[in-house]
Amino acid sequence: MPQPVARAQDLLVGYGGAPVCAPVTFTLHPGRALALVGSNGSGKSTVLRAVIGLLEPSGGKLTVLGREVDERTVEFRSAVSSVLDDDAYFPSLSVAEHLYLVARGHGVLDAWDRVDELLDEFGLVDHAAALPVSLSSGQRRRLLLAAGFARPRSLLVLDEPEQRLDRRMLSALTDRLLAEKASGGAVLMASHDPELVRAVADRALHLDDERNELLSAADAATRIARIPA
Amino acid sequence: MSGPARGDEPEGPDELTEPAGPDRDRGPAVSPGEVGDLPSARSIRRFTAAAGKARAGASLTSLLGDVYYAVISVAIGAAAAFGIAQQVRASLPPAPRVAPATSLSLPALVGVALLATAGVLVSLAGRLGPVGAGGAESAWWLALPVGRRGLLRPAARRLPILGALAGGAVVALLDAGLLGDTPRRTLLAAGAGLVVAALLVLLATVAQSVGVPRRRVALVGDVVLALSAVLAVVLALGGTQLAELPVPPGPLLGVGVLLVAVLAWVVDGRLDSMPARSLRESGSVATQAMGAVVSLDSRELGRALTAGSSRPVRRWVSRFHGVRGPATALVAADLAQLRRSPRHVVQLAVAALIPWLATVVPQLANVPGVLVSVLVAGGIASSAAGEGARAGEMNPIIDRMLPLAAKTVRRLRMVVPGAALLVWALLAFAGLGRWAGDPAPWLVLAVLGAPVWAAATVRAAYRPGPNWSKPLVSTPFGALPTGVTTVVSRGPDLVVLCLLPTWIALLLRHVTPTFLMLQLAGAAIAFAVGSSIATGTLMDRLFEASGGAPGSKPAAAGR
Repeated sequence: MPQPVARAQDLLVGYGGAPVCAPVTFTLHPGRALALVGSNGSGKSTVLRAVIGLLEPSGGKLTVLGREVDERTVEFRSAVSSVLDDDAYFPSLSVAEHLYLVARGHGVLDAWDRVDELLDEFGLVDHAAALPVSLSSGQRRRLLLAAGFARPRSLLVLDEPEQRLDRRMLSALTDRLLAEKASGGAVLMASHDPELVRAVADRALHLDDERNELLSAADAATRIARIPA
Repeated sequence: MSGPARGDEPEGPDELTEPAGPDRDRGPAVSPGEVGDLPSARSIRRFTAAAGKARAGASLTSLLGDVYYAVISVAIGAAAAFGIAQQVRASLPPAPRVAPATSLSLPALVGVALLATAGVLVSLAGRLGPVGAGGAESAWWLALPVGRRGLLRPAARRLPILGALAGGAVVALLDAGLLGDTPRRTLLAAGAGLVVAALLVLLATVAQSVGVPRRRVALVGDVVLALSAVLAVVLALGGTQLAELPVPPGPLLGVGVLLVAVLAWVVDGRLDSMPARSLRESGSVATQAMGAVVSLDSRELGRALTAGSSRPVRRWVSRFHGVRGPATALVAADLAQLRRSPRHVVQLAVAALIPWLATVVPQLANVPGVLVSVLVAGGIASSAAGEGARAGEMNPIIDRMLPLAAKTVRRLRMVVPGAALLVWALLAFAGLGRWAGDPAPWLVLAVLGAPVWAAATVRAAYRPGPNWSKPLVSTPFGALPTGVTTVVSRGPDLVVLCLLPTWIALLLRHVTPTFLMLQLAGAAIAFAVGSSIATGTLMDRLFEASGGAPGSKPAAAGR
């Protein structure tokens, strides 16, 4: 039996000791995708921050690749790729250079070739030499997503990856995530998009402050669609 | 093995344990290409820096020009500051042969001031990190699987060096202005200040590296600041006379330097184990604070230093029992903000002591000494009391949610600062009254002056952003942006003009009924100006009336 990529047992997350949702339990294996769904403020992003080591859990157990989460270790950072809502860029680095920094920083040998492929895939070829300040918010989002795929990984953590993407790009992202699973990568994502959840996730965890519920992707998509806008 | 069909009912959390493929836990499962050796952190830093240099568009000549300009400005500023310090030193009267029962010697006061400075430094170090990674660095560097030491070294050096320079400068100015009789003594004192300041910031860095929360380090600094005030009172009431404040001898300074080197080595060794969450928080605050300093925005600086260092969740929720409507809601919210910021409460307490301290130090108990102490203390107290107004200015939507006219909001925002500054003024002016020999009229003057301080606080909090498009005026200290100075002077202008009767009373060391009447009129004028929602200066409004280019936009409705 292969070891799970991520495992949470009665995980409590929150700020200042106050949990934002009920204890979270899940296990995620290679080649699988788990979606975290729920209304705004239900704790999806907070759980993701704990998984990538940016927030210390206030209770329960959380392991990634069989070890307690410690993002200070090189092994953890080599294995976990995350795309949060960080809208921050080096003002002097072009789009292509940002991607090269990530790829080369992770030891990818033919980094420029990989960067070219990602620029093409994420529709950023025309903006390769542009500085991030000149990009639209959607283009910056595509840059962040491309960076998530520019490096080796065992676990891909995405916080609402559908944000600011047009339908075409969302469809391309869906295909990319399915390919990720097929290659043995695990995906943990928070999402409000029923179609993305239905297409990519194997299961979904509906977060709530009273009780968390493990759902099928289809049920989760239906549940998301019911959440008032 | 494939996963369960979509739409299947899950049987429980462990259903997801079913693997989809073979065990791939040996190295990353997915890779965009062949992976080789990891680059060094230094090469990553250099790659980023090289791109910045390539696109900066700055030639070597312009770079040298900037360095020359900066060096000259700093040198002129330092020379002017030490010139003023020497003048102060020369104008100080000699210490009395027999000190009064309640008094503080100048060396003792300087000792207390140094303790307070240490507290401020620790508090600032805690709030700013000390080590952090800014937005881009934290997003793009910290996730790389390279040692963090190489990435963070420049950031880890920055604050100890800045702190050491600031500490050395403060000690040098205090010593040269109040104590030092030889340049050698002042140099030794400055060296000691430099070393102690560096040690304090490095200790705060070690605390950060072992996971001590930033707010706890900041709290230690705040406590030291409060203790310095208590110590001053105890020393003054006890009539403790310290004849001289010793400066450390050279060898002791050498030991201090050695300690700094050891701590710097310890910090360097711990950079790899700095957690990203701490680096992100600190970097965010430092970036905000740096931006505020560069744009000369003291309000933004205050917000940067306050945010993130307070407890994220309160132990109890205020029920606001006294709230009866929008007006009381606004006042109650302002009061809650002040009450929940221990730093500002400590500042108010310290500010109340400063004028009294000036009156019990024989060499400072004169008109210039007391006047300066009231101005400094009033500035500190006013800044501490204006947290609610500053928050309101930053989030005007909060004000607009209440059914209150913009002018009414401004007036209500004066209530809490008014109350806090009334307490401050009564305590401070009680000391002045004792110094002048007749406390009662000084207390009345304090009551009449408090609304002016409150109005100035609100006016300063709601001042518009700096207008950088206005012309620069060349001064010996460098170019002065007039569009910034006119904005920064909003608030202090009320203190200078509407407290004129108080300043004259201080100069004469005597309060007359006429001064009280005039101060009442000054308070009324300050209240009217503080309630105004116009943001342009008189000159701007004249320009607009004549159809000329306005210097600043009129105030947004509701602000």
